[in-house]
Amino acid sequence: MNISPDEAEEALAAIQRTMRKTRRSFASSGAYIFLIITGIVWLVGFLSTQFLSGPIVAYIWTGMSLCGTALSVVLGRRMAPRVRGPSATASARRAGIFWLLLVLYGIAAIAIVRPTDGKQVTMLIILFIMIGQLAMGLLLSFSSVWWALPITALALIGYFLLPGIFYLWMGVLGGGGMIALALYIRLRW
Amino acid sequence: MAELNETIHQPVRLRIMAALVTLEVGNEVDFSYLRDLLQVTAGNLGAHLHKLEEAGYITVNKLFVERKPRTFVAATAEGRKVFQEHVAALEAILKRK
Repeated sequence: MNISPDEAEEALAAIQRTMRKTRRSFASSGAYIFLIITGIVWLVGFLSTQFLSGPIVAYIWTGMSLCGTALSVVLGRRMAPRVRGPSATASARRAGIFWLLLVLYGIAAIAIVRPTDGKQVTMLIILFIMIGQLAMGLLLSFSSVWWALPITALALIGYFLLPGIFYLWMGVLGGGGMIALALYIRLRW
Repeated sequence: MAELNETIHQPVRLRIMAALVTLEVGNEVDFSYLRDLLQVTAGNLGAHLHKLEEAGYITVNKLFVERKPRTFVAATAEGRKVFQEHVAALEAILKRK
C-alpha cells in the first residue's frame, strides 16, 4: 500500500484530532450536568447571602445544597457508564474516596482556623473545592483542570478587592460562570 | 520498518482505532458513545467495527447492564500494536517528504 506524504499528513492529523477529542470527551463526559447544578446552587445561595439576612439565608443554602447533592447522586447513577473496565472502576472509587477525605479535611481546617465571618468560611470552602477539582483534573484528565483556576482567581479578587459585594460577585461570576461553562461544554465540545 | 495497514487506513476505521487506543488497556467504550464521538451513523460504525473485529484488532462485548442491552468495544493488544506500526509508517512517509 502506497500513499503520498500529503495523505500521510492528513491521516496523522485525523489521528491527533480524534485522540484529543476522545481524551477531552472522556474527561468532560457528564461534567456539564454537575457544573450546572453547582452553578445554580452557588447563584441562588450567594445572591440570597448578599441580599437577604437572618436564618432564611441558612435555610436557602441548606435546601439548595441538599437538593443539589440529591440531584447529582440521582443523575450520576442514571448516567450510563461510557467506559468500563478495571482502571475506570478503580478511578471512580479513588475519586469518591478522595472527595470524601477532602470534605473531612475541609471541616477539620475550618474547625481549627475558626473563621471570623461568613466570607472566610466561603473562601475556605471554595479553595478546598477548587483544590479537589485541580487534583481531579491533573490526575484523571488534563482538559477539565483549567476552569478551577479562573474561579479561584475570581474568588480571591472578590474577597480581597470587593468585600462589599463579595457574595454578589461569587453568585454572578462564580455560579453564573459555571453555568456558562457547562453550556459551552455541552454545545461546543 | 513499520508498514501501512490497509484495514486500519480507511478514514472511519483509523478514527475508531485512534479513539480506542486512547483508552487505558483493559477498558472498553460504549458503542453509542463511540458513535456520537466519531459522528457516524450506527450502521456505518457497526460495519467498520465488524471489519476490525474480523481482523482481530478489536473486541466487541455485548452484555446486559441493569437489564438493558449494551455493546462495549475495546482495542486488542494486536490492534494497538498494528495501530502504532501504522502511525510509525505514516510518520516515516512524512520524514521522507
